[in-house]
Amino acid sequence: MPNKKSLHIESSGQLCIYCGACVGICPLNCIYLDETRITFDESVCTRCEICVKACPVGAIEIG
Amino acid sequence: MAPTLRPDVLVIGAGPAGSMTAKWAAKRGASVLLLEKRQEIGSPVRCGEGMSKEWLREVGITPGRWINVEVEGARIYSPSEKVFEINEKHAGNEVGYVVERDEFDKQLAIDAANAGVEIRLKTAAIGLLREGGRIVGAKVKQFGETTEIRAPVTVAADGFESQVGRWAGIPTDLALRDMDTCLQYRMTNVDSDVRYCDFFLGKVAPGGYVWVFPKGEGLANVGIGVQVSQVKNLADAKTYLDRWIEHHPGYAKGKKIDMVGGGVSISPPLKQTVADGIMLVGDAARMIDPLTGGGIANGCIAGKICGEVAAEAAALGDPSKAFLQKYERGWRARLEEKLYRNWLAKEKLVTLSDETFDKIVDALAGIRLEKLNVHNILKAVQAKYPEVTQEFAAFL
Repeated sequence: MPNKKSLHIESSGQLCIYCGACVGICPLNCIYLDETRITFDESVCTRCEICVKACPVGAIEIG
Repeated sequence: MAPTLRPDVLVIGAGPAGSMTAKWAAKRGASVLLLEKRQEIGSPVRCGEGMSKEWLREVGITPGRWINVEVEGARIYSPSEKVFEINEKHAGNEVGYVVERDEFDKQLAIDAANAGVEIRLKTAAIGLLREGGRIVGAKVKQFGETTEIRAPVTVAADGFESQVGRWAGIPTDLALRDMDTCLQYRMTNVDSDVRYCDFFLGKVAPGGYVWVFPKGEGLANVGIGVQVSQVKNLADAKTYLDRWIEHHPGYAKGKKIDMVGGGVSISPPLKQTVADGIMLVGDAARMIDPLTGGGIANGCIAGKICGEVAAEAAALGDPSKAFLQKYERGWRARLEEKLYRNWLAKEKLVTLSDETFDKIVDALAGIRLEKLNVHNILKAVQAKYPEVTQEFAAFL
């Protein structure tokens, strides 16, 4: 089992408002915003949690 | 495969800074291609829609139907809701309009088109083209088809979530204290005053403020910015905004009809905004005013300079970093001092207690200021609360 914490971006629109705040703050430039989709590159992400703080609606969780 | 396009200047992003850059490059004789990844320029709106107005003439924007409300002034509310009013008499340049941002952005794109700019919608940059260490265009995806667009000069105007600059190797990273996380509702049936843009300071919005920008007929943009370094819990921006609304009956009775969010940089100016073959402009270049969070004016002012330099570089066949420094020098001469000064002021303001905010606003509320500047503000505060000004020794 990988011991890395897992990052979850709720990007189905239940919480996410596709504002791009997480995209702009990600220090590794690994979060991407389409019009109706947020994705991130798991292989680049270091789980620094900066995007979690930047999200105004709490759509990103790490656990 | 679509044909390879070869404009003189390729502008990525059709927000205000991108459209301005494109327009001025075309006016100076360049062939310009402006890309917008969305299907509609100006939409969705991610903005409080308040802006000052004295700079519009400088960049050649004429007032149009994008103006929603012309306000008389701004009101600054301390935590205990003492009020200090800033009006046109002593702060003419900071007073202005509440706008329809989608209309504004479209008008700027129309101005660019009228100057001869080609526009492609639904076209996203997905990478940069390089030749011998120089950026020579971008790889783009248009309606699912990948194309290469080669251009001597590429301009990244791709907004707060800019990736193009980082692809070019220009550092645009933000410290947590240099970003606000923002949320705004458009509300109807609220008691906003169409004469004023209102700002609420202190613990109601740690490291930022709550704003109410009136849009007329009981409609207003009610939003919040919270400094990311002061975020404690998931969704703090929303929690603080909802709490503020709940505690203000004139807003609690309103209905939300729209919700927007986003990041706003409140950073000092970047050290570098050009590289060989590429320039950064607007929010992508972290040109947002770190005190107010406003980005439109600075983006447009820098956009004009950027467009002019882009056209000149293309005409001379010299898009080298050394030549593009002309843009770097130009926008810094016009904007850098204020950006840096306001960043320092922001760094100080975010440390103030609610008590200090109350004293400052109270001291200002009772007097008539001839001119609004830091010196006059501190003088007024010193007269009533001398102990407070000790905190600001560095500014005197």
